[in-house]
Amino acid sequence: MSCRPWPLLILAPILLQAQNPFAGNASEADAGRGLFRIMCRPCHGISAQGGRGPDLTLGVYNNGNSDNDLFRVIYHGVQGTEMPSYGARIGDENVWRMVTYIRSLTTRKEPPPPGDRAAGEAFFWSKGGCGNCHIVGQRGSAFGPELTRIGRKRSLEHLRQSLTDPNADLTPTYYKITVTPRTGPNITGTQRNIDNFTAELMTTDGRIHFFERDAVSSIQRDYVSLMPAYKSLPTQDMNNILLYLLSLRGEN
Amino acid sequence: MLRRTLLFLTIPAFAQLKDADWLTYGGNDASWRYSELNQITPANVKQLNLEWVFQTGISGKNETTPLIRGNMMYVTGPDNNAWALDLLTGRQVWRYVKPVPPSLPICCGQVNRGFALSGDTLLKMNLDSTLVALDAKTGAVKWETPLADYKKGYTGTVAPLVIKDKVITGIAGAEFGTRGFIDAYDIKTGKRAWRFYTVPAPNEPGGNTWPKDSTAYQRGGGSTWVTGTYDPETNLTFWGTGNPGPDMNGDVRPGDNLYTCSIVALDADTGQLKWHYQFTPHDVHDWDATEDPVLLDITHEGRKVKAVVMANRNGFYYTFDRATGKLLTTKAYTKVTWAKGIGKDGRPILIPGQDPTPTGNTTCPGGGGGHNWQASAFSPQTGLYYFPTTDGCHTYFMTNQEFVEGAWFQGSTFTGEHHFPVGSILAVDPATGETKWRWEMVSTPTAGILATATGLLFSGDREGYFFALDAKSGKPLWHRQLGGTVIAPPVTWSRAGRQFVTIAAGPSIFTFALTR
Repeated sequence: MSCRPWPLLILAPILLQAQNPFAGNASEADAGRGLFRIMCRPCHGISAQGGRGPDLTLGVYNNGNSDNDLFRVIYHGVQGTEMPSYGARIGDENVWRMVTYIRSLTTRKEPPPPGDRAAGEAFFWSKGGCGNCHIVGQRGSAFGPELTRIGRKRSLEHLRQSLTDPNADLTPTYYKITVTPRTGPNITGTQRNIDNFTAELMTTDGRIHFFERDAVSSIQRDYVSLMPAYKSLPTQDMNNILLYLLSLRGEN
Repeated sequence: MLRRTLLFLTIPAFAQLKDADWLTYGGNDASWRYSELNQITPANVKQLNLEWVFQTGISGKNETTPLIRGNMMYVTGPDNNAWALDLLTGRQVWRYVKPVPPSLPICCGQVNRGFALSGDTLLKMNLDSTLVALDAKTGAVKWETPLADYKKGYTGTVAPLVIKDKVITGIAGAEFGTRGFIDAYDIKTGKRAWRFYTVPAPNEPGGNTWPKDSTAYQRGGGSTWVTGTYDPETNLTFWGTGNPGPDMNGDVRPGDNLYTCSIVALDADTGQLKWHYQFTPHDVHDWDATEDPVLLDITHEGRKVKAVVMANRNGFYYTFDRATGKLLTTKAYTKVTWAKGIGKDGRPILIPGQDPTPTGNTTCPGGGGGHNWQASAFSPQTGLYYFPTTDGCHTYFMTNQEFVEGAWFQGSTFTGEHHFPVGSILAVDPATGETKWRWEMVSTPTAGILATATGLLFSGDREGYFFALDAKSGKPLWHRQLGGTVIAPPVTWSRAGRQFVTIAAGPSIFTFALTR
């Protein structure tokens, strides 16, 4: 946690020139996999296919696509994000091992599904009703997770799974909260805050409600999404909407 | 107006309160974390108010147990920091800081769990694996003794334990292929009096529980990062030991791997092993036995027994005769899928197919175990034993990993499952381990517990609340948001007829008392 500027300053000019000493080396990639599972798994998942952190199996990254870019991100972290720095902790050889491992993953090719992005966009904002719960840019509602940059964060398969089985890998803090008042009907919404004494939730109308446990009969949290499962969506609509979601990269 | 009248009525009781200190990590040698102070009660706890805050300015996890004596409070913090504070204002009297070496190999935060105090000497572990003695008046260093090489992954986080003229302490670092030990040092000189290796060498008793003709024992783990307890009658000190190394790859260390995941009872003068018990032979789930070994008198089969108890990370609660080490009772207190129970021979009755695999294997409890290091409490007033527990499972993965000195040596990892609830504070009958009540929490517990004579429990949570529960029922009675995760255990003390409660949360130290 403490500030250690000197090693970074000294290394910085060298790193700019550096080449991955382990590029393409399978056994070093395997060593990198061991490190990855310890350091990176909590956010990027055991197979690097993303979770809280971005999917790393696509060959496209948020902070540059070269080996040196990956090295820089792992070594120094990314300021203003949840990506911490590992260089001081594990040393540059181990960072290169991780880079080599991540590179070994990116053979996973995902040809985009055949479809029509514009039709997907139209479906999203009309018949699909997605904008009733999700924000893209300045449109939509905040009931569910914001999707402005979702195409950078998630793989095609993860997006497909989110549509067909929203409970499979729920975005943290979008759990279902059910409050049973002392009198009157239950109130159900998505979690905004929950602790041992209070809960805050958003209902589908976009309103935020606050409750103290003392004042209600019960506050129940379930590991389920309030998003409907689009299981029987026609293939064409599904492909269209997936193309639209993949195109959402926060660039407009 | 009504409120004023009520307060007035409680004031006569204030004057009868004697000054009470908090002098050790566990509150007493038996680690009860219990106080006879009786001014704060279930009836008036809602009137608790903030007296002062000390902002340390140091980010990171604050796990300190503050010590209170005279007009001072002594607290430690992350990154080799420590402070003496004026007891009644929280203002800094002196500060100690030692720069942390860059690239310090440490698993779980640059933390510290508190001072030990002997006469005018404060004793504290530093992250770079040294034991330092400070002048309690000035914070000046009296001596500093290195225990091991921090570059190899040995780190100091534990609050030491003073026994007579010695200070007993331990080491962290079982995720880095270290070999654990418990050390005793002369408080005056800092000279080492004895060392007990928690992983025996091949020619020593227990050495045959490690692979033959191998140096695996040198990386065998068995760290000792939670303070032990002391029984003056038997002159034994009791310590829990950490996981074997590498954590999740048992293939490179066939055998029981003594004395990892064990409780050891050592002669406090010599460090000689009197007895031991291994909770999890050949552990592959990172179930350190670094839960406080609490000394209690219990009734077992109609007979009073001087016992030592532990709610172990592997999901079982255990009681032992503390003089002999005889196992008395065991009871699962959370969901356990790795063992059916503990057999008559004291060994767990294993359920096959629970070990980590390259593709992942799910077992309960999870990687942090049930009860972890978070300090427990015993109340002679209710007769109940209290500890926080994480209730859940993990998927454990195994990876072959070559040993590199000073580098992570975990043999892979574990991932979470999603389900609620995930943690609770438990009250158990200490003689049987039977759960008396369970207060469920929305996230895994982080803080320790304090019990008081009026039937109150104090603790905190991940979301930053400091709260009081009814010790008889577990019913919440009071809570206050402190704006930072509560990881430390609370302490209580009194001065000038008033009872105070102190807790670290986020980077700050908070002290509460009833409104004057």
